[in-house]
Amino acid sequence: MPGHALAVDIGGTFTDVVLRDSHGRCWVDKTLTTHNDLLEGFFAAVDLAMGKAGATPADVDDVVVHATTIVTNALIERKGPPTALLVTEGFGDVLYIRDEHRYDMYDPLIEFPDPLVPRERTFGIAERVLADGSIEAGIDDAQVAAVAAKLKSAEISSVAVCFLNAYKQPANEQRVRDILLAELPDLYVSLSSDVAPQMREYLRASTTVVNAFTQPITRPYLTALRETLQSRGFPNEPLIMLSNGGIIGADIAGRFPVRMIESGPAAGALVASFYAEKLGIDDLMSFDMGGTTAKACIIQNRTPLVAGLFEVDRQYRFKPGSGFPVTIPSIDMIEIGAGGGSIARVDSLGLMKVGPDSAGSEPGPVCYGRGGDRPTVTDADLILGYLDPSNFLGGDMALDLEGAKAVVGELGQSLKTNLDETALGVFQVVGEQMAAAARAHATDRGIDPRGLPVLAFGGAGPVHANYVAELLESDTVIFPPLASVLSAFGTLVTPARLDLVRGALIRMDQIDWDLVDGILDEIEAEARSALVDAGIDRDAVRFSFGADMRYVGQANEVTVDFAADPRESRDMDDVRRIFEDAYDQLYGLRLKDMKVEIVSWRVTAVGPPVDRQRDADLPATVAAAKGVRRAVFKSGAVDVPVFDRPDLAENQQVPGPAIIEERETTIIILPGWTATVDSLGCIVARRTA
Amino acid sequence: MDGIRLEILWSNLISIVSEQARALQRIAFSPVVREAGDLAVGMFDAEGRMVAQAVTGTPGHINSLAAAARNILAKYPTENLVDGDVLIVNDPWISAGHFFDITILTPLFYKGRIIAYFGSTIHHTDIGGYGVGAGARDVHEEGLWIPITKLYEAGEPNETLHDIIRHNVRTPDAVFGDLAAQVSSARIGADRLAGLCDRNGLDDIADLAEEIIQRSEDATRQSIRELPGGVYFGECQFDIPGGAVIDLKAKVTVDHDAGEVLIDFDGSSGASPHGINVVMNYTHAYSTFAIRSTLNPDLPNNFGSLAPIKVSAPKGCIINAEYPSPVNARHVVGMYVPFPILDALKDIVPGRVIADSSGAVWTMQIQGRDREGVSFTSSMFNYSGGMGARRDKSGPAATCYPTGVAAVPVEVLEASIPIQFTEKQLNLGSGGDGAQKGGDGQRIGFKMRTGKPWLLNAIPSRLNIAARGFMGGEAGATGRFLVGGKPVSEARKIEVAAEDVVTLETPGGGGFGETPQ
Repeated sequence: MPGHALAVDIGGTFTDVVLRDSHGRCWVDKTLTTHNDLLEGFFAAVDLAMGKAGATPADVDDVVVHATTIVTNALIERKGPPTALLVTEGFGDVLYIRDEHRYDMYDPLIEFPDPLVPRERTFGIAERVLADGSIEAGIDDAQVAAVAAKLKSAEISSVAVCFLNAYKQPANEQRVRDILLAELPDLYVSLSSDVAPQMREYLRASTTVVNAFTQPITRPYLTALRETLQSRGFPNEPLIMLSNGGIIGADIAGRFPVRMIESGPAAGALVASFYAEKLGIDDLMSFDMGGTTAKACIIQNRTPLVAGLFEVDRQYRFKPGSGFPVTIPSIDMIEIGAGGGSIARVDSLGLMKVGPDSAGSEPGPVCYGRGGDRPTVTDADLILGYLDPSNFLGGDMALDLEGAKAVVGELGQSLKTNLDETALGVFQVVGEQMAAAARAHATDRGIDPRGLPVLAFGGAGPVHANYVAELLESDTVIFPPLASVLSAFGTLVTPARLDLVRGALIRMDQIDWDLVDGILDEIEAEARSALVDAGIDRDAVRFSFGADMRYVGQANEVTVDFAADPRESRDMDDVRRIFEDAYDQLYGLRLKDMKVEIVSWRVTAVGPPVDRQRDADLPATVAAAKGVRRAVFKSGAVDVPVFDRPDLAENQQVPGPAIIEERETTIIILPGWTATVDSLGCIVARRTA
Repeated sequence: MDGIRLEILWSNLISIVSEQARALQRIAFSPVVREAGDLAVGMFDAEGRMVAQAVTGTPGHINSLAAAARNILAKYPTENLVDGDVLIVNDPWISAGHFFDITILTPLFYKGRIIAYFGSTIHHTDIGGYGVGAGARDVHEEGLWIPITKLYEAGEPNETLHDIIRHNVRTPDAVFGDLAAQVSSARIGADRLAGLCDRNGLDDIADLAEEIIQRSEDATRQSIRELPGGVYFGECQFDIPGGAVIDLKAKVTVDHDAGEVLIDFDGSSGASPHGINVVMNYTHAYSTFAIRSTLNPDLPNNFGSLAPIKVSAPKGCIINAEYPSPVNARHVVGMYVPFPILDALKDIVPGRVIADSSGAVWTMQIQGRDREGVSFTSSMFNYSGGMGARRDKSGPAATCYPTGVAAVPVEVLEASIPIQFTEKQLNLGSGGDGAQKGGDGQRIGFKMRTGKPWLLNAIPSRLNIAARGFMGGEAGATGRFLVGGKPVSEARKIEVAAEDVVTLETPGGGGFGETPQ
C-alpha cells in the first residue's frame, strides 16, 4: 500500500503522529515526549500509528515531515555545549550591553538573561567593515589561527561570528570561517552574514549566537533521524518544519536551527490557513488555548502572517524584553499567559484577575485533584457546566466538582458574588484578556480584528472560542477535526518554503538596479537549491518578493510584499506606491514629500501546494443529544443538550446553547449561535441572533 | 460596581490606551520615540483626571502628561471646544518641562458632549532655537514656545499655527509627521472608547472613572500605611557639564494616619545658569515614580494613585524652576530626583530600593558637513552607565535608571551619518563592589569621517562625583569624557578637530551591602 505520508510533531509534553494514506485516510496517535532521547518517542509514536494502519516503512513513499521543540528545549535548558563568539575588536560586550533598554520602567527588581556566550569565550578580532561595505581592515590570518588554537584547547565545538556591518559585506566573516575550518574541520561555524544578514548589531549577534548554541544539538539529532529512518527502510529523507511555516530539507535545517524554533506552533497556524483555503475564507484568526498560555495568529489572504523578529526564552515573569531577540522570519503569533490552568484571584484593589500565574498541568486545577488549591479557569468551566466531571478525557480522569466549587466560592466571598457569578466572571475576564491581546496584535498590524472568523483548537480553545469571538464581534467560529494532533496534521498540508532576507540600505531615488539584480539573484539561487534539496522540482519553485522599507529618517521598517518581481518592471513609482499602501494600512498616513528607502530585501521560495485532504467519514444519520446538563451563560442557567462529536452527521445543525464533547476537548456553542457540521468534519458555529 | 464588571471595563480602557500608544510609537519619526519609546499616552475623564495610561514611555513623560491635561483644562475654556478640535502645547511649565516635548489633547464628543480626552506627549526631533543641549541662556533661546492653542479646529488644520511651526523648526517634515502621529493615534483611542460605550450601554464614563480613581487612591493609601510612619531624610550629589555640583535633599514624611507621603526638597541647589533646570511637573513625575516603585506593585498609575503623594520644593530652586530659567536639558538633573528619595527610604523598604545609579543618560548630537560639503544634523542619541545594585540582585550593566531608553545601534548611526565607532564595550569593574555589585558603565569611542571640524553637543554627567553604594556597598567609578584624549567639561556645544576621537566612559552604579570577605 504505497502512498503514505507521515508527520511527527514533538512538543513539550506529547509526541503526536499522523499517518495518512493515498486516499486521505488518517491514523493518529500520541505518546509522551522522551526528553532524554527524542527519537525514542518519535519512533514509538510512529510504530503505533503504522501498526494501526498495517503499513510498513516502504509504504511511506510520500513525505515524512517533522516539527520539533528540540531547539527551544536546548535554549531553555541551556543544553548546548560551550559556544564561542568572535566579534569586531572593541565591541566584545554586545551581548551584555544589548540595546541598553530597561524593558520594564516600573519594576525596580528587573533582571536580564545571562548571555548564551559569556565574556570569557568572546574574542575580539582586529577587522573593520564600514557602513558602505568597504573593508577598512581585513583579517589578520595569524590572529584568527591563534583564536582557533584557543578554541581547540577549550574544546569549543561551535562558534558564532558577528562583525560590524557584515550584513553589508560578508568577506571578513567568510575569511574567518575558512581559517577556522582549515584548523578545526569539525567546528560548527555560524556567520551573522549567513544567519541573519540585517542591520542592527545586537539583534544580529543574538540571532547568530542562538544558532551557534543550538547547532551542536540539532545537527547530530537530524543526522540520527535521517540514518534511523533509512535503516528502518523509509525511502525518503525527512523534511523539517520551520518557524516561517514552511518545510525544508534536514540539511538546511541543521545549518540554521534558529529557523526551527517555532516549528510546532507554526504548523498549528498552517492548519488554520489550510481550512481558510478549504472553506473559502480569506482572513481569520487562529486561537489555540492550552493549559498555561493562549496563542493567536492572523491568517490574511489564506496565509499566516510572518514577522521578522521574535523573542525566545523570556526569563523574567515572561515579560517582553527579558529573552533573546531573534530576527528570523517566523509565523507572527501572540502568546499570552491565559490558559485552563491560569489562576484567578482578587487583587488589592478588589478586582478579579486571571493569570499569568498558572497551576499548569502539575498540580493543575483544583478539580484535577492533584493538590492544586487555587481556583483556575478550568475549575470555573467545570462549575459553569461546560465540562462534564465524569467525561473528561473520555472519562479517564474524574474531575472534582465539589473541590472546584469550594475554591471558586471562596473567591466569590471577597467579591460578594455568588458561585455562578464568580465562575462566569473568571470565564469572562480570561475571555476579555484574550480578546484584548488579539485586538492589540491585529491593530499593531493595521488589521481591524472586528468580525474576523475564529478557528479554535487546543485543550481549552473550543470551550472559550465562542465567547472570545463574541468580544471580537465575529460571527463565525470554526472547530476543525483532528484537533488533538493538529500541529502534526499541519505539517502534512504544508508546501516546502524558505524565506531569506538580505540587508542592503538603498535610497529609492538612488537605486542601482544592477546591484539589486545581484542581491536578488544570489538569494534566489540559495533558496532554489534549498528547495531542490527538499525534493522539489527546480521548475516548480515559485518566488515572491518583498522588502523592508521606510521613509528616510525613520528608524523602523514596514515589510511589504510585491505583487511581482520588482526587477521586471523596474518601476520605482510602483514600488513606492506599494510601500505607501502598506504604510497607510498600518498608520492611516501617506507622506508625499518624504524620500523612501529600502533597508532589506526579502525573497520567499515556495514549492507546489499540497492537497491530499479528502472528505471526512461522517455518520449518515443525524445524532440526537446524548443527554442534557445545566450550564450557566450571561443570560442565565439553562439545561443544555450534550452531543458526542463523532456522532454528528454531515450537515447536521446544532442550535446553541449546546455542548459538543470530544475526548480531548469540549466545544461550547453559546445561545444565539448555531453549529453546522461540514463535509470536511469541521464544526462551524455561526451567529443567528 | 462589582470587581468583575469593573475589571472588565477597566481592562478595556487600558487596552484602548495601549493601542493608542502602539500606533503612536510605530508611526512616529522621532528616533527617540520609535527606538527609545520616549512617549506618554493617557486617557482623561471630562475633568481632566488621568484614568488610564499606556504601560510604555518614561516616568517623566507619563506623570507630566497627567499634570498637563489638568493644567490645560484649568486654563482653556472647554466650552469653546467642538468635535474635531485638537489642543496643542509645549509650554514647559504646563506640560513636560522643555519645548521638545509637545503635548496633544483631543476631546471625545459622545452623544453631544465631552466624555473624555486622549492625550500624548512625545519628544520631537527639533523645536528650533538652541537645539539639543544646555547652552541657552534663557528659555526663549531654547526654541519655539507654543501656548495652549488649537492645532486643529473642527477637524481643519490651524494654518497660522502650522505655518509658524514650519518656519521655526529645522526638520518640519519630521515634526509634522510626528504631530500627525499624535493626532491620529488619539483618534484611534477616541473611536475605541466610543465603541466601548456603545457595547456597554454607557452614556459617559463618569461613574466608571470615579470608581477607578477612588479605588486606586484607597489602595495607594492602604499601601502607604504598610510603611512605618515617620520623617526620613535623603540626599544625592552629582556633577554636571561645566563642573558644577548639584545637591538634592529630600525630606520624606510618611503620614501613617492619612496614608500620604510628603516629599519636600528644601535645601536643594538653586537654579543653574545652564539649561538643566527642572520644572515642578517633572520633579513631581519622578518623585511619584520613586515612591510608587517602593509600594505595592499591583497599584495602577492614575489620578487616584498619584493623589496621596505630595511634592514640594522651594520656588526657583533647580527642581522647581521659574521663568525665564533655561530648561532644555532638564533630564540631566531631573533623572536624579528619585535618588534622594530612595536614599531616604532605604532603611524602611530595603528590598525595593536601588543604590545610586549612574543617573542621566549621556546624550549626544552631532552637526557637521560631510566630505561633499553637505550639512547634516544627527538625531539625538544616548548611552547609559550602570544601574545601582539591589539588596538581592546586582545592578544591570549599561542600563539606565530611572528611565530606560534604548541606545541607537552602532550600525544604524553609521548608516545614517558619517560617524565611525572605534569601540563600545563595558568598562569592567566600574560598578561599585558590594554584597551585590553595581552595574558596569561602558566605554564608547567614535570619530567622524568628514575630514573637517564638526560640532558636538554632549551632555555627560557624574565626571567627579560617583554613584554611592547603599548599606556599606562601594561607590561606582566616575565617568570620563575625552576629546582627542583630553578631558572636557563643558556645558555648551564644542567644536571637535577633524581627526579627534571622542571617548565616553559612562559611570558605574553603586554596590549594595558590604563586600563579603
